[in-house]
Amino acid sequence: MVDATMPLRRRRFRVRNLRFWIPLTWIMMLVLAALCAPLIAPHDPLAQDLFLERLPPFFMDGAEPGYWLGTDSLGRDVLSRMIYGARIALFVSVIAAVSTGIFGSTLGLLAGYYGGWWDRVISRLVDIWMAFPPVLFAVLLVAVMGTGLTSVIAAIALIDWTRFARVIRAETMVQAHMDYVDSARIGGARRFTTLVSEILPNVMPSIIALLMLEMGIAVIVEAILSFVNLSISSDDPTWGSMIAEGRGAIHFAWWVLLFPLITLFLTVLSFSTLGEGIKKKFDPVLSS
Amino acid sequence: MLLKNVLVRLITTAITLFGVAVVVFVLVRVAPGNPIAMMLPPGATSEDIANLSALYGFDKSIFEQFVIWLGGVLRGDFGTSITLRQPVAELVLGRLPATLELSTMALFIALGLGGTVAVIGARKRDTATEVGLDLTSGAVLSIPDFLWGLIFVLLFGVLWPILSISGRIDPRIEFDFTTNFYIFEGLIRGRFDVVMSTLSHMLMPAMSLALPLAAMIAQLLKQNLKEVLNQDYTTLARVRGFSETSVILREALRNAALPTLALVGVQFTFLIGGTVIVERLFAFEGLGNMAIDAVINRDLPLIQGIVLLFAALFTVINLLVDLSYTLLNPRLRHG
Amino acid sequence: MTTQPHEKTLEIRQLNATLPNGMRLLRDVSLTLEPGEVRALVGESGAGKSMIGRAVLGILPSAVVHSSGDILLEGQSLNALRPKTRRSTVAKMSALIPQDPLTALNPVRKIGPQITDPLVRIHRWSRDRALKRALELLERVHIRNPERVINSYPHELSGGMRQRILIAAAFAPSPRLIVADEPTTALDVTVQKQILQLIRELQRETGTAVLFVTHDMGVVAKISQKVTVLFAGRVLEDAPTEAIFNDATHPYTRGLIAATPTPNATAEPFRPVPQDLIAQLQRDTQAEDMRFYQGGRK
Repeated sequence: MVDATMPLRRRRFRVRNLRFWIPLTWIMMLVLAALCAPLIAPHDPLAQDLFLERLPPFFMDGAEPGYWLGTDSLGRDVLSRMIYGARIALFVSVIAAVSTGIFGSTLGLLAGYYGGWWDRVISRLVDIWMAFPPVLFAVLLVAVMGTGLTSVIAAIALIDWTRFARVIRAETMVQAHMDYVDSARIGGARRFTTLVSEILPNVMPSIIALLMLEMGIAVIVEAILSFVNLSISSDDPTWGSMIAEGRGAIHFAWWVLLFPLITLFLTVLSFSTLGEGIKKKFDPVLSS
Repeated sequence: MLLKNVLVRLITTAITLFGVAVVVFVLVRVAPGNPIAMMLPPGATSEDIANLSALYGFDKSIFEQFVIWLGGVLRGDFGTSITLRQPVAELVLGRLPATLELSTMALFIALGLGGTVAVIGARKRDTATEVGLDLTSGAVLSIPDFLWGLIFVLLFGVLWPILSISGRIDPRIEFDFTTNFYIFEGLIRGRFDVVMSTLSHMLMPAMSLALPLAAMIAQLLKQNLKEVLNQDYTTLARVRGFSETSVILREALRNAALPTLALVGVQFTFLIGGTVIVERLFAFEGLGNMAIDAVINRDLPLIQGIVLLFAALFTVINLLVDLSYTLLNPRLRHG
Repeated sequence: MTTQPHEKTLEIRQLNATLPNGMRLLRDVSLTLEPGEVRALVGESGAGKSMIGRAVLGILPSAVVHSSGDILLEGQSLNALRPKTRRSTVAKMSALIPQDPLTALNPVRKIGPQITDPLVRIHRWSRDRALKRALELLERVHIRNPERVINSYPHELSGGMRQRILIAAAFAPSPRLIVADEPTTALDVTVQKQILQLIRELQRETGTAVLFVTHDMGVVAKISQKVTVLFAGRVLEDAPTEAIFNDATHPYTRGLIAATPTPNATAEPFRPVPQDLIAQLQRDTQAEDMRFYQGGRK
């Protein structure tokens, strides 16, 4: 009878906190690695040494001290390439996500708030865009624009804007019918001012959550494009080109694939978990 | 009323497909790199290039080219592949069965796996098991098919080599099929060696495609199941003596499946879009793999044909999903 | 599980139910139900009357901590049974007429299987026998064209029809006990009368004992032989219906009766249960809770 009156433990609460801190720690480690790459990388990521090719990682027989995670088919140090790869990965993910976010959210806000022809044209464009297989679209765009990081970033923005546009359009439509928007308009605010000062702050949490998601996606898209040899020159240390290299040498040196793969896995997982966390934190319905 | 809906739907589908055609047509033509020059051996004169360009119609304006191409498409003629020198329609339809079989298998895996996890989660709701399943499916969901493919290649292709990591079928098997539906035709003809080999080659790419969708189904279906399990009619079923599992399977599942279905339709088109890179990863001779080759080789007619086929596939699937949604819901069927 | 002739159909002994935050839903509730008897459970919303029915049927909300007490169905203690056996035992002996007919039928399944399924799968009848029984009962509850109705979906039928179907489904396996959980509350006034009439008729014909949950003293007068008055999960009064209406011992019961609008006395103004009386009862309940928790902590 006494047991029945005792408060229950809140297990979920603690799980949620861990789900915030672990991914954040991983992303912070990546940022640190990217910023201090020349200081912490044990070797030059581009230095080839044919005498040191396909060295296994430290826990296997035949490992060479100093080459912790082994070397690839050209004798380049896997760990150093991964650390320098973090620079490119984070650069691409931040720039691509932000430009995708700005582009897509703007269209979503316009379609959702002004309606009419804005909405009809933008929604039709979204439909057309969604009928493309995204990977094929990306490959096609990079082929058109030529290889290189700029093309990769542009391709991501040109393809994934629909994700922002769809979500933000729907949320803007909900917000536009709220009383506070009416009262701002009655108070004499111009339509555009209302959009920027009243509606935008309210859809911001969704934009930020989508940005997090998009960063993870951008890292993957870069890896996919590197994989089909369309990102940047394969000498440059990107995680994607390492994976492509690892896939090619998979029967001789699996660690060239394994370590970038683990890194990519954790990074994508972290970004999406953070995005989910942010969405839940700001969503008044879910957080209560 | 219903007829009007169908008509509107068909018109928007046509507009979407037309839009896709325009976008891809313009896109491939502004791409640098002359496809004709790539065809000819080095040292070809500019006159040779001009002649061959005229043969493929590349000397006309983009608008004229588009009108000619569209006229052909409407007659079922998608042009001729520059690199493979065969009709595009033939090439594309030859590869389509492989991609269809792969995506269908992936869909079945996703439905089976996701459905099972959802039912278990609903059965064990408000326990540590449910929390564990939620965390797992959340993590599985955020990892895209490309990464799953790489993980499977590494795990079951190299570290524990039990499955083949490239191709669609063991090349040593000899057979002569009329269609390229290896599994379907193999089953009909009783060639189970072909079926088994194809299945074992398809398992890893199909799993890679299926896992994110399975996780999404698991989450969504479980959520819907939990809502339905609070309904009065499920309570009544419990009073009548049905076990919780029986209540979930017989009373709740169909109601919960309806809202899930709408989403699975959209996600299935994403899954098919994912075949492009997954086929590449597993050297699987499907449409997506061919598409990437076509882009790299600047094979303009082939790219156009493949992209249009994908777009058509997506819109048809969305149409079918809407249709089955109506059929499964008695309220919509009669009303 | 042999039935002895003089066994009580239902006996509830000292039933308590508590929420995890310590809120008590039922406080030492005891009551009995003889074979063929109708007992009304009355009280305001939140008085715990539906909880008693749910406790008997084993469908208390999962948050409720079932702290103590026992329920006996025809002498069989439910506490003594394993959960699985308990569920099938309860299902074979009892049935529920739910409150809201609009949500109590599965929208995607036809009416027929919703009545026959439990007969076939739980009571192990043959499919033919179950179907015959369903048609017979649908006819008994005045549903015209039962053959057509069993092939209908719930949304094709009116609320009153659905409630009659649910009544038919409840009586179909000939249960010893039926819990009727405010079966008329969600219906139109005209339909209410018919439904009440129907339950009373079927109950008399079959001799099924009924635990009738309601907040309406007018309904109580029409249907029950015994009344249990509840306040805040506590039994205030337990007496034959006639005695309650003629000479209720507890002032709260008198208040409830006085608060019931009667159709032939429209001139009389509506008098709710006096606020000071309710306040007094709440103070009593709190005081009892204090004693309960202090006793428990020892």
